[in-house]
Amino acid sequence: MLVLGIETSCDETAAALVADGRNVLSSAISTQLDLLKKYGGVVPEIAARRHTELIGYVIKEALDTADKTLDDVEAVAVTSRQGLVGCLMVGVAAAKSISYSRGLPLIGVHHIEGHIFANLLSHPEMPFPHVCLTVSGGHNMLLYVSGPCRYEVLGATLDDAAGEAFDKVAKFLGLDFPGGPVIDRLSKQGNPGAFKFPRPMIGSRTYDFSFSGLKTAVVNMFRDSLARGESLPLADIAASFQEAIVDVLVAKTVRAAQEKNVTTISVTGGVSANSRLRQAFTEACGKQGIKVFFPKLSLCTDNAAMIAAAGYARMMSGEKSDLRLNVFPNAPLGLS
Amino acid sequence: MIVLGIDTSGYVNAVGVVDGSRVLADRSFPAKTDSLEQIVDNIDTTLKRAGLALGQVEGIGVGLGPGSWTGIRVGVTVGKMLAFSAGKPVCGVPTLAALAYSARHAANLICPVISVGVGDAVYAGLYRVVNDTVERIGDYYTGDIEGLSELITGRAVLAGIQAQKYARKLEQRSGKKFKALEVLPSGAAVATLALERLSHGRSDDALSLTPLYLKESTAKVFVNKYSASKK
Repeated sequence: MLVLGIETSCDETAAALVADGRNVLSSAISTQLDLLKKYGGVVPEIAARRHTELIGYVIKEALDTADKTLDDVEAVAVTSRQGLVGCLMVGVAAAKSISYSRGLPLIGVHHIEGHIFANLLSHPEMPFPHVCLTVSGGHNMLLYVSGPCRYEVLGATLDDAAGEAFDKVAKFLGLDFPGGPVIDRLSKQGNPGAFKFPRPMIGSRTYDFSFSGLKTAVVNMFRDSLARGESLPLADIAASFQEAIVDVLVAKTVRAAQEKNVTTISVTGGVSANSRLRQAFTEACGKQGIKVFFPKLSLCTDNAAMIAAAGYARMMSGEKSDLRLNVFPNAPLGLS
Repeated sequence: MIVLGIDTSGYVNAVGVVDGSRVLADRSFPAKTDSLEQIVDNIDTTLKRAGLALGQVEGIGVGLGPGSWTGIRVGVTVGKMLAFSAGKPVCGVPTLAALAYSARHAANLICPVISVGVGDAVYAGLYRVVNDTVERIGDYYTGDIEGLSELITGRAVLAGIQAQKYARKLEQRSGKKFKALEVLPSGAAVATLALERLSHGRSDDALSLTPLYLKESTAKVFVNKYSASKK
């Protein structure tokens, strides 16, 4: 079954064609990098305007790249839950129009479920049950995944998501937005042991996370250094900050896998592209006999192929949406 | 030629169908926060009431705004993607033009007004009535009522939602007397104006169709001011 996936929940306008839930024929993504840099982040009204300009082109590009037309599309999957309301609306409006005019089944998808499927798309051999850490600028959750579309939330961030902490610290240090890739690059030249930043909640019994205290520690240390007239080794600060985040994410996820008795970990979401995180997970999991999976880099950040895959799985289990499909920017991940 | 017209800029989903000069349907569905939820249903219901299926529609007219930014995006996205998906020609129609068209029997000069939604600010335009249709004179106006009173004379009839309210405010500011006509957005008006071009084989490129906001977002205004003052 050929599914057209559409994703407009934040600042990327994306469309993709995926066959049978696993064969990615095309994945078109238009980022708003110029706007992010100009405004230092996502401005919802500006992002929504940009989605409206681009949505048709991105859908057409996905079709053209796959050498298909709308005649070949058999279903439409669109992100309708979790994200910025004005942005989500553009994708859903487009999806409904295509579904209505061609009589195609339509399914609304939760953005985070999309990220979970990004890894399943990259690694169809990933077994169930597994523990999944999904971490990006907008979300940071630890899940027990017992089957496709069957989740138990083990924990989530109480304040900032790890990706958000990367963005805020990078901005504070005068670096570019988004902060993750910049800090990843800069850290390679830095010493991760140079500064001892806190590892918040690393030893707590819950699986929740908290990163705003870590961010504050970095900001305070930086300000103190400035006040003393000391030179600021940006690479060392970046590396030490990154190491603190990595330590927490790895420790809690590995402990969750052990306590849930699973030998597979899935790490997904934008932050799963981070090279130090991948290295640390691989080392830690190797020592514990746990297999760890990361999505292909192109599927870590927001994309529509993961939405098509998640939508396909939901449709195969009998779900579908109707033409009154609406958007829910704060919907919790559907648990079943 | 059968043309579907939609406009979602004004807190209603306006859906209409015309066949040449005949209005087959002209419906207005209240839609404050559920415009997106309803719009496709509204289109389907309106077509069915007119005894039509989507496949019989030969062209689509899309209200471009100005008005509610979120609202406009619903209609423009649905309109352009319906056109792309169903392979029909599409024409964007400024909402101010459609309002003026709906008021064209009231006078030779129409000044459609749409609330910006902040204070007394309005979007407006000036249209002359010619050959049973409307033509815009000059540029659009975005600003407060005071500024508008300097641009138009009492010969123009104000038209739109709450037009009476704006007429009274204009009278207070300028001392000139204004007539007003309460007019709701109309899908049939949008369809008719679209038909004027479609019937001559002219249309817009569906994929590049975008709203007519007539106002920048606050963030952009701020950043532009900030970078200008830095220079």
